[in-house]
Order: sequence, then structure tokens, then C-alpha cells
Amino acid sequence: MEIKSADLALSGLTKTYGHSLAVDNVTVRIGTGEMVALLGPSGCGKTTTLRMIAGLIEPSGGDILIGGRSIVNVPVHKRNIGMLFQSYALFPHLSVGQNVAFGLEMRGVRKAEAARRVTDALTLVQLDHLAERLPTALSGGQQQRVALARALVIEPSVMLLDEPLGALDKSLRESMQVELRQLQQRLGITTVIVTHDQEEALTLADRIVIMRAGKLEQIGTPQEIYSRPVSRFVAGFIGASNFLRGHVAGSDGGTTLVALQGGARVTVPTQAGASGEVMVALRPEAIQVQPFAGQNDAAPNTTQATIEQIIYRGSLTHLYLRLDDGAPLLAFHQNRAGERAPAELSPGGRVVARWTEENNHLVADR
Amino acid sequence: MGGRLSGGTAWLVYGITACVMVFVMAPLLVAISISFSAAPFASFPPQGFTFDWYRQVLVDPDFIDAFSFSIGLALASTVTSVALGLPAALALQRSNIPAASVMQGVLLSPLIFPVLITGLALLQFYSAANMQQAVVNLYIGHTLVTLPYVVRTVTASLQLVDRSLEEAARTLGADRWRTFRRVTIPQIAPGVAAGALFAFMVSLDNYPISMWLSDARAVPLPILLFQRMSSVFDPSIAAMASLMILVGAAAVVVLERLVGLRRAMGI
Ligand SMILES: Nc1ncnc2c1ncn2[C@@H]1O[C@H](COP(=O)(O)OP(=O)(O)OP(=O)(O)O)[C@@H](O)[C@H]1O
Ligand SMILES: [Mg+2]
Repeated sequence: MEIKSADLALSGLTKTYGHSLAVDNVTVRIGTGEMVALLGPSGCGKTTTLRMIAGLIEPSGGDILIGGRSIVNVPVHKRNIGMLFQSYALFPHLSVGQNVAFGLEMRGVRKAEAARRVTDALTLVQLDHLAERLPTALSGGQQQRVALARALVIEPSVMLLDEPLGALDKSLRESMQVELRQLQQRLGITTVIVTHDQEEALTLADRIVIMRAGKLEQIGTPQEIYSRPVSRFVAGFIGASNFLRGHVAGSDGGTTLVALQGGARVTVPTQAGASGEVMVALRPEAIQVQPFAGQNDAAPNTTQATIEQIIYRGSLTHLYLRLDDGAPLLAFHQNRAGERAPAELSPGGRVVARWTEENNHLVADR
Repeated sequence: MGGRLSGGTAWLVYGITACVMVFVMAPLLVAISISFSAAPFASFPPQGFTFDWYRQVLVDPDFIDAFSFSIGLALASTVTSVALGLPAALALQRSNIPAASVMQGVLLSPLIFPVLITGLALLQFYSAANMQQAVVNLYIGHTLVTLPYVVRTVTASLQLVDRSLEEAARTLGADRWRTFRRVTIPQIAPGVAAGALFAFMVSLDNYPISMWLSDARAVPLPILLFQRMSSVFDPSIAAMASLMILVGAAAVVVLERLVGLRRAMGI
């Protein structure tokens, strides 16, 4: 199967319901063959954005371009978009093969060619042996694969997926994610996937778009989003993060010194516009925890703390620490095979937490 | 429903079901049994056994006229109800027409008004409008009372259709009409059939509307039955009634074969 995909651009896309803004001035350019995840909490406008691209909802403002051409005035059935629904939306009265053939039939593709393409598409999702079955006689994972074949067979310019794996159990979801990603990359098809599962976004997407209350909060590769979140919201949404409040106490070239409220000091690679009160984001896995050895360490990026709780989580141990000023600090300890929590640490014990400068990152406090 | 009942609950449920069945079926069985009675008057229990009443009824020109007229009337008002009710239900459910709930209320109102009054109102309307064709008047009157049944069942089944099926069809390249024909219709077919069956049966045994609107030449079967009953009450009336029951049962069976009525009624 060859798919001639196209790039997709949203420009100032807006949707209002009465006085409320469901989608607020979203602008993003998605390259040909790229896979982008729309990620955000419930009600932030992900589905609305996706359905506007599909043409199922009319935008209140802004433009949508596929391959540089505006499609806002093109009706749904002429947009050549492949869409996957959370509920699979297979036609229950048609067999698997007829479901996949539906889009080809609507396009007036000749019978023989349609049959060949249906077989190809079903082979692609490894279901060619089930073409005669009715959708109700398939498992959830199989149904979604049929839906995928049905969407792909029309060789869409853009694929849209609205929480396509939300109804599957965890292990099936993970294997489907890998399958979906491989297929998407092999076919080079421009794809937008909606999810509120951060793992899914990290696994699948070339770039992640974080949305919040209808607005675009941050766009970036999974790594950018994870290591350089712009705001407390983003840092907290992808992975776990500590937030340390303080104020800028000085700066020398590449490094900014931040004095934390509790007295400790941290150094941060200088970011533009940092002054006054700031917030430092620090990932828990960056923190090394050792038992307190007696001598005071006044170096930056170090602090004493007390262990409140230790929770074993398989590959990680979560250490809940409390700083002397009462601020909480979460640290992850990477367990080695067969090892449980670090034996020398126990609740109530005094410890020293240490990390390095490049793990500190200033975020907007919103 | 796949669950199995057990113990006391089971007996209670079976018991109540049996009572309801007896309550519903007994009068029908009485009528049917009398239709085979050899006695000259309709009386229960029947005496003897004979097909004479059927022989007599089936060559009775009045009966044949009334029977075929009733079937024709029921078919015509059913077809019209579906032709009007399907688009109406679709508009109420699928497009953002203003005051949809008010319109739905108006469409369904014949279900609420006493049919007798509706018939009387129609009679006054027809005479005011100088409409004297009893056949046409009956056809309009019956359609008026059968239409709500179609609107109701079709609206209900449209509500049950997963909207994403229609949306999937549209993204796959089907325009509104083809989406309707290829996806919506197959989904609601059992509901349409159920509505049509209701409409047919409601028209077939309608008395209160026909009473006002029939004349000497346009006589639906229930009117004929009543006229006969007031003159001679012999088992031929039971035979006619049994034939009506037969038509109703046949309609159910045919629709069940065609579209699976059981699915439509959620049985
Ligand atoms: N038809 C509608 N009328 C009014 N408000 C609506 C309508 N559809 C959506 N909204 C509102 O628009 C906002 C965005 O909804 P949307 O469905 O896009 O959220 P979402 O990000 O997909 O959330 P979820 O993760 O729960 O699916 C919500 O606040 C929702 O209440
Ligand atoms: Mg959603």
C-alpha cells in the first residue's frame, strides 16, 4: 500500500459554544508523515479539535489546511480523511471485508481492484483470514484493527485517531501502540492522535501538543516536553516533577543561582527573562539520596531531608522526602535486578538529596 | 436476556407471566373456539364442531368487502405513516431544527387525545371543508392516528444508533444520503418494521375513528362486526374476529422473518 500523505496546518483554529471557548486559537503545523499527539486533561478541547479537522464540527474561526489547501468549506465526505473512533464504529450489519470495502465503494473503485485492496489492507493488520466474519464476532483489539484497515484502505491524506485504544486493556493497548506506530511510520501517513494517556503520547508521537482549557500550552518532541516543560502544568502532566520555589539570587554567564525558600540553593542553566520569584522543576529520577553522614554540605543542588515514606514500585522505589522547611521532595531510586529498596534507607531517617545543575529547569508557575 | 432465574424468584416470574398470558390470550381463545361452535348463537362453551361459519363468512360479500377494505386501508395508512414518519423522525433526531420537541409533541399528540374525540373533530372538519369522500376521509383519519406510532418507534431506534457509525461512514466518503441508506436504515430497520406493524394493527382494528367517518359504501371490518353484532349474534361474528386475529398474527410472523422484530422490540 502506497499512501500519498500531505501536511496539515491548523491556523488560529477556534470553536466557541455559546460563551465558552472549547478550542481557543490553536495554531500548529504537522509535517507530512509526522505523528502528533494531542494530549491534555479531560475537556481541554482535544476531541473538538480533531472533529473540526475531520469536518464533523464546524469551526467558529481559523483555518485548516491539508497540503496547503484550505478545507474548511469541503464537506466531510470529500476530505479524504481516515478516522478511528474510540468505539471502533464498525458497521454491525456488514462483514469485516464489507466494512473495509465501504470507503472504496463510495469512491466507485471497481470490484476486482477493491477486493484486492481490501485483502491488502486486512493483511496489513493481520486479519485477512477473518474477512467473512461479522464485527460482533471479533475481540476489541481485532475490531480496532479492522477499523484501522478500513481507514487506511482509502489512502487518506491524514489519519485522525480519537483515543483509539482507550477501550482496550493495558497489555493489548501497549502492543497495539507499537503496531500502530510501525504501520504509521512504514506508510508515512500524517497522523493526529488524541489521548489523555501520557505514556501513549510518549510512545507514539513524533511531537506532542499539550492542550489546556482549549489553548495550546506547548508543542515539542517527547524529549523536549519532558526535559524542558514551559510550565508547571506541563511538567506535572508528563511524568512526575518536583517544584521548588525561590528567587533569583545572582547570575554568572551560563548559570543562574536560585535561593530556595527553605535556605538551600540551586543552580539553573540560564533561561531568558529569569528574575525575581521563580519556580524550578526537578524530575524525581534526577535526585540521588544517601544517608546523612554528619557533615554539613553547603554546595548548591544539595539539601538535607527526612524520609517520610518508601514505596516499592517494581523497577523504581519512590522515596517521599520532607525538607526542613516542610516542603515535600519526591525522589525515584532505580532498583537493580532482584534488589528491593536501598537497604540503608528507612522511614524517619536523615538523608542528603543531591542532583546536578542540568536537571534544574525554570518553569512558569501556571 | 441471557440470565437464568432460579428458585422462588423463578416461580414467581413464571407464575406472573402465565397469568398475563392467560389474561391476554383467554378472550382470543374464547372467540376462536366459538367460531367453530355448531350452536346457532354465540355462546361459551362452544357446542359441537363445524367449519360452517367460516364457509358462510368467506362467501359473504359484505364481509369480503369490509375485510379487503380494512386491509387496504391499513396498508395505505401504514405506508403513508412510514413515508411521513421516517423523514419526520429523522429531522427531529438528526438536524438542529428549531422547536424540535414542540414539533415532536404535536406529531405524537394523537396518541394522547381520546381517539373518539379526534374522530368527531375530523368529522366536523370534513363537513366544514365539504369533503364527502368517505374513503379519503378514513384514509386521512387512520393515517393521523397511525403516524405517531411510526414516529415514536423510529425516533427511539434512531436514538439507539451509535452516531459514530454515521460519522465513520461520512469520513469514508459517503454523503448524507448514502450514509442514511447504507448505514442508518439498516440500523433502524427493525424499529421501522415495529412502527409499521403497530400502525397496521392500529388501523386494522380501529373503531372510534371509522365510526364517525364511514358511510354505507366504505365499511371497515370493525364497523361491520359491530353492525352484525347488534342484529344477530351468531358464531359467524367469532369467525370474522378469528380471521382478523389471523391477519394480525400473520403480519407479526412476516415482519419477524423480514427484519427480526424481536430485535426491534428488545426481546
Ligand atoms: N456540543 C457541545 N456544546 C457545548 N459544549 C461542548 C460541546 N461539545 C464539547 N463542549 C465543551 O467543549 C470542551 C472541550 O470538549 P472536548 O470534547 O473537545 O474535550 P476533550 O479534550 O476531548 O476531553 P476528553 O478527554 O474528556 O475526551 C468541554 O468543556 C466541553 O464541555
Ligand atoms: Mg475527547
